[in-house]
Amino acid sequence: MATQLTPKDFATATPSWWCPGCGDFGVLAALKQSCAELSLQPKDVAFISGIGCSGKISGYLHSYAFHGVHGRALPTATAVKLGNKDLTVIVAGGDGDGYAIGAGHFLHAVRRNPDMTYIVMDNQTYGLTKGQSSPTSMLGYLSGTSPAGNPDAPLNGLAVALAAGGTFLARAFSSEPKAMVEMIKEAVRHPGFAIVEVMSPCVTFNKVNTYKWFKENVYHLSDIEGYDPSNRAKAFDVLTQHGKIPLGVFYREIRPTFEALTLKDSPAIAGLDIDRIDPKLAELQEAYA
Amino acid sequence: MIVNDIEVLFGGQAGDGSLTTGDLIATVFKRMGLDVYTFKDFPSRIRGGHTNYIIRAGEHPHYGVADYVDAMVAFDLECVEKHVDEMRPGGFIIFDNTSEQLTEAVRRADVTYYEVPLAKIAKEDLGLELVRNTISLGVLSQLTGMDPAIVRSLVTRQYERKGEKVVAQNIGAVEAGENYVKEHFASTPSGYGLRARPDVDRLIMMGNDAIGYGALAAGCRFMAGYPITPATDILEWMAKHAPKYGGVVVQAEDELAAINMVIGAAFAGVRAMTATSGPGQALMTEGIGLAAVTETPIVVVECARAGPSTGMPTKTEQSNLNHLIFSGHGEVPRVVLAPGSVEESFYLTVGAFNLAEKYQVPVFILSEQAMCQSKETTPRLDLSAVRVDRGKLHRNGPLTFGEYKRYEFTQDGVSPRAIPGTEGGMHLVPGSEHNDAGVITEDARNRVRIMDKRMHKLVSMRPDLPKAIVHGDRSAGVAFIGYGSNRGPIGEAQDRLAAAGVPSRFLQLRTLWPFPEEEVRDFLAGAQHIFVVENNMTGQVERLVRYVTGPMPNMHRVLKYSGRPFRPIEIIEAVLEVVPHSNGVVPDRTSQPVHSAAPAS
Repeated sequence: MATQLTPKDFATATPSWWCPGCGDFGVLAALKQSCAELSLQPKDVAFISGIGCSGKISGYLHSYAFHGVHGRALPTATAVKLGNKDLTVIVAGGDGDGYAIGAGHFLHAVRRNPDMTYIVMDNQTYGLTKGQSSPTSMLGYLSGTSPAGNPDAPLNGLAVALAAGGTFLARAFSSEPKAMVEMIKEAVRHPGFAIVEVMSPCVTFNKVNTYKWFKENVYHLSDIEGYDPSNRAKAFDVLTQHGKIPLGVFYREIRPTFEALTLKDSPAIAGLDIDRIDPKLAELQEAYA
Repeated sequence: MIVNDIEVLFGGQAGDGSLTTGDLIATVFKRMGLDVYTFKDFPSRIRGGHTNYIIRAGEHPHYGVADYVDAMVAFDLECVEKHVDEMRPGGFIIFDNTSEQLTEAVRRADVTYYEVPLAKIAKEDLGLELVRNTISLGVLSQLTGMDPAIVRSLVTRQYERKGEKVVAQNIGAVEAGENYVKEHFASTPSGYGLRARPDVDRLIMMGNDAIGYGALAAGCRFMAGYPITPATDILEWMAKHAPKYGGVVVQAEDELAAINMVIGAAFAGVRAMTATSGPGQALMTEGIGLAAVTETPIVVVECARAGPSTGMPTKTEQSNLNHLIFSGHGEVPRVVLAPGSVEESFYLTVGAFNLAEKYQVPVFILSEQAMCQSKETTPRLDLSAVRVDRGKLHRNGPLTFGEYKRYEFTQDGVSPRAIPGTEGGMHLVPGSEHNDAGVITEDARNRVRIMDKRMHKLVSMRPDLPKAIVHGDRSAGVAFIGYGSNRGPIGEAQDRLAAAGVPSRFLQLRTLWPFPEEEVRDFLAGAQHIFVVENNMTGQVERLVRYVTGPMPNMHRVLKYSGRPFRPIEIIEAVLEVVPHSNGVVPDRTSQPVHSAAPAS
């Protein structure tokens, strides 16, 4: 019987490369807290991240972590889960990773509904390359690559995911750790592809969407009387309204996971005995004889 | 003279069923105890456009097409127009003259034409247009001396799924074809009385199927891929068979996803592969670098087709070798293996998975359209020869966290691998440069050390790499170097050159990377004329050989990049242009093989 772990048990010895004050610290803390509260064991957690400031998070969570190439964390994670469905698979990446270079994979992960959690650490800029526009930067955002103002409308990732068949959609703010922990825990428990988008301010390059700006520009779904996260139309309505940014769990739906549909009841693939050649294999040659 | 060796070209418009009938003919020849090779020459479209299927059968394995076509079954004039020049003098053409007539331009004095209104017989006599192909099989059978009992039993097998009525209709169609010949043609073509031999226990299998089968036997239980000609067969084969063995196949949204899925599955501890062709390989390039730097074992099958860009998707070429060897940013270890037959496709695939896991590198299996979509008769594939070597994969109990280092520096450069779920083995697998513990670092000393570690695996793996095979006379002055589908035409050219007094040696490369420098150097010792035979325009292997040898005035490139495989005569002619030969006459075909069949490994 494993002892109850604390957030510290999910820490690594690697010092963080993030700037002081970065919103990503809040995400990491909430993630460790969630893992501990969910009684997960580090050996059973596969943590896959993308590239960018956010992608570095995989080095800081004590687990089996994989820091892949830019935008491809979701396909990697999908296969990790298929390979060993007993693992708890968590993916983290930034807005650029998930909504720009990895946007295609994002849509298809949503369609497939693998049982995993995807944390999108949204800072509305490209931090690691020093502050260019990102797919969630606001119109008119001034940056090195948009000196005349960002001409591209920001992508509404959660609304896109809902349209594509998303089964769990939530948004948190890195300054609200308690709420974020609850959302992440719920996401991990959700049997399907659970997205938690976290507003995670970049204190160095994004001088528009600051902690102060967020505090003035967010509201909570709990403020909406009788909000029902099983109501897809309402979720779409709330997600696509202009104005202040809603936080909370927008939508929840249960439908079969990718693993359930592809693996059915078979055991975890990684545990199969492949060392002995199955004698049945020889019969396959008869079709060619 | 009766020659028990025939090449049939079966052609018409895509979608008219000629591939199905071509397969049937190939199986008839196989059951007659002959050695068979098939080649599909089809357009990149579903219906319409000229398509043809070559079936070659003879008394010893050819692994390739012949110089000429002996018998053509042409369902339209376009087929005759396109291929009449490829006919062997003395060959014959069966032509469906229902709606088109032969023109003067396609008539050759040395070719016999059998005009049969195949479509008309099908529609008017048998009341079923669909059986036109089967009637042609009856005509061909009667003209070449196929065994009628075998033809009937295979037609029955082919159609029994569709019910007794369809079987009877097709048997009737075979008879109609046979009878038409008996009733209308006084003479049958001389020299094409095929003789059956006992059919020993063999298979007739396509290269792609052998790769799928090899993967499954080797324990591959995860495949992700994106449909692409000519590799899709492997994805479909695995989708059909892998689930019965606990495996899973994913059709990815693109090749970027496919390669990263394969990496993810391998990270989780599953033997995993993908299969693609040039355009998909281009997208997978970033993933190859990731697999190599993270030391994740993966197998990537490249079924090469004619490039560049979309190129000629259904045509064969050997122009992707440079891409497999040199693509990607940074410097990483990788392996490229190239089977030279369907049989080798099976055994080298098994070997690829062992190499990948033993040395924790990406391993490519390089096939080509002319082999991966070709069928060959092949001995039964020996599952007792299959060994699964998972290398330094930690599988016994917990590790001690803090002591275990995923990228531990070792003598052979290979570090023990712990997979998720193992107590105490937690670590980070980073695409960024890292130290032995997997911690990301840009430290200068570490960088050099870990680069050396990864690249050293190319040295330590040498004893395990599939050896090149030397065919023919090791001391001969004429030397060939080639790989893949060219094993067939080079081997046949060797036989015929030898019969004309020009012996030769042939180095069939099976490991293309790391390039087998020593084998090449040893092989070339004493060679007077060297011919590097490749299906590409720039001589990619010849350049690799030159890296080893330096400039060689007696080294010649024999290149073909029309999208079609070599016919042996093209290689023979290239040799005779520079090599004097005394006998003067090179036989059209040889009855006895000089080169030996390759041993399995």
